[in-house]
Amino acid sequence: MRPLVRLGSAVGVLALMITASACTKKEEEPEGAAGALTAAQVKVALVPGGAHPYFQPWKDAGTKAKADFAFGDVTFNETAGWDQTKQNDVLTSLAAQGYNAFGIFGVAPESINSTFENLKKQGFKVGSLASCPAGDKNLADFCLSTDVQEAAYKAAKAAVEAMGGQGNLVHLTGNKVDSNTQRRIAGVQKAVDETGGKVKLLDTITDIDKDLQTAQKAVADLLAAKGSQVNAIVTTAYNPAVAAAGGVKQAKLPIKVIAIDDDPTIIQGIKNGEVAATVLQNPVGQAYVGSYALLKLAEGCTMATPGVIIDSGSFVVNAANATTYENDRQAKTDFLKKDFDEKYLTCAK
Amino acid sequence: MKQDDNPSPPEAARQAARLPLWANPRIGLVVLLIALIALFTTLRPAFLNTQLTLVPMQSDISVYAVVGLSQLAVLSLGHMNMAVGRMAAMSAFAAGLLHDRLDAPLIVCLLGGLATGALLGALAGLIIARTGVNSFVVTLALDFALIGLVSLLYATFTDGVAFGGLPAGMSALRTDTFADYCAGDVCGPEIPLLAPIALVAALGVGLLFRWSRIGREVLMTGANAKAALLSGIPVNLRVVQAHALSGLLAGLAGFLLSANNGSFSAGVGDGFLLPSFLAPVLGGTLLVGGAVSVLGTVLGTGITQVIYKGLNLLQFQVDELKLYIGLVLLAALSLDRLRHVLAERRGVPA
Repeated sequence: MRPLVRLGSAVGVLALMITASACTKKEEEPEGAAGALTAAQVKVALVPGGAHPYFQPWKDAGTKAKADFAFGDVTFNETAGWDQTKQNDVLTSLAAQGYNAFGIFGVAPESINSTFENLKKQGFKVGSLASCPAGDKNLADFCLSTDVQEAAYKAAKAAVEAMGGQGNLVHLTGNKVDSNTQRRIAGVQKAVDETGGKVKLLDTITDIDKDLQTAQKAVADLLAAKGSQVNAIVTTAYNPAVAAAGGVKQAKLPIKVIAIDDDPTIIQGIKNGEVAATVLQNPVGQAYVGSYALLKLAEGCTMATPGVIIDSGSFVVNAANATTYENDRQAKTDFLKKDFDEKYLTCAK
Repeated sequence: MKQDDNPSPPEAARQAARLPLWANPRIGLVVLLIALIALFTTLRPAFLNTQLTLVPMQSDISVYAVVGLSQLAVLSLGHMNMAVGRMAAMSAFAAGLLHDRLDAPLIVCLLGGLATGALLGALAGLIIARTGVNSFVVTLALDFALIGLVSLLYATFTDGVAFGGLPAGMSALRTDTFADYCAGDVCGPEIPLLAPIALVAALGVGLLFRWSRIGREVLMTGANAKAALLSGIPVNLRVVQAHALSGLLAGLAGFLLSANNGSFSAGVGDGFLLPSFLAPVLGGTLLVGGAVSVLGTVLGTGITQVIYKGLNLLQFQVDELKLYIGLVLLAALSLDRLRHVLAERRGVPA
């Protein structure tokens, strides 16, 4: 083996040295030099990180955007399976199929900027939807997402109000090592601090948004151990919200539940008085206005501030507006579109 | 590059001369690979798009071939490494930490990552050799422990789940191909910079198992540990070495994936376990030990990635995609089995 290995390594090293010394890197071509497209040439792909109920409204919102703004095509692809490598693969496959504008919920906020960079380098338009990259910079053209800290703050304020301004609060949320969860925790803490000690944050339970069973088990454990001390539960993730609403109803405890999103069981719970309130996000607005902005960018508009982060809105829904909240959400969506036209986009007349 | 049994050289030469091309399992895989590429290209011509299909696919093959080789290193013993993903995550953490805290250059980060992987592998090997507990149990326990350790370490040393920066040159590994480097007017081929790293790993593992004494002795330990021990082979040492090699390759795969995805993060290696078995087994490596096929592993990875890419291009929805991946893999394995049976009927060893 030795003579072979020696010969092999010697040839390898020599070849590498010769290549390395003779080679120079080609000049980079200017980014996004692709010319403006017509609306009919624009094909929008909406790509969430994987299958999740939150993203289902994106399908219809994308189809509606296509009809309203008359662009070439729209597709919704949820095959990424919560794996960044697979999502990158899905994105390049869609690009190879002729899709040229992407609304993406990145699986891994910490590395999604690399994915955005890759796509933009090839002249595609990219919007980060429903979640922004971790850290200070966003390399997509824009990020249209819920301000999660603000949404958590609103939810906690609603909880404080529901429990009469005093008592013990518990916060249920998702993956602890996610920057968005950290911001949610900060939002809840801010609302608790504002009560000047009247409301105490008894516990913050994390990592229970993996699936409904995990969340249900955590809620059952919480109610068994501290059910009598808790006055309100605020949830800032989908599965814990559904689990808390169901758990409290089953245990027949006088605990006020503040949920998130509009799962049918939660809306029904509000109407029946079992859930005090829920904080809605705006997935329809994200997909609809996101598609519109991507179309405009492909048609030759530019972002006034590239990488700008835009709050897609969050809304507190309680018994008073359980039947009319959709109007508020629609109003926010219209407002977002107007803002894109007037503030965020710069288009040649 | 299959090292099944150990016939004497003239006998081996005679066998090789007798073996018709179609009966060679590796040729079967190559034919299958070409057939799949032809099929997907006919259905979707975009399959041959260089920038959007071929280059990213080569990067993925590079990463997952090394993942497969990592499992192959212990399959040679008839062992398993259930911690392959977490060893990759620990290596990526070590590499990221070296850059973050000491501002170490790319090569130092890579070496640090590899050393971490190798040490973890050696630890698993040592526990297995010393206690005689099944490798499945030991590496599964190690995996559980490392899941916790990885998130603890990232929570302590970063403000989230990833290191912010990357060493200089790491982005080039992700974005550049040899076509970006020219000597005069002659530029290289459209092959990502990651590919040769995986190629060196494959050649190294192939040479090790084919030509080196250590490699042959590992295979003999896998074929029959007792006989190997009685023949004077230091069986325990070989177990530790094979597991260390597995850890080293897992570390390399973690580094390549970090380069490919653009960050050293806690999620590196999450999806490694299944592909790590799929590629070697598809390529003809035995689960019971004693025989490995490096070329088969690389081809197996190629086939899996081609299927995945092809189905992606056909835009199957999530459930259909999983269903069809399963079906295509079953069909691929059945075809190989059919070839094997035909070969046996005709009295050809395959």
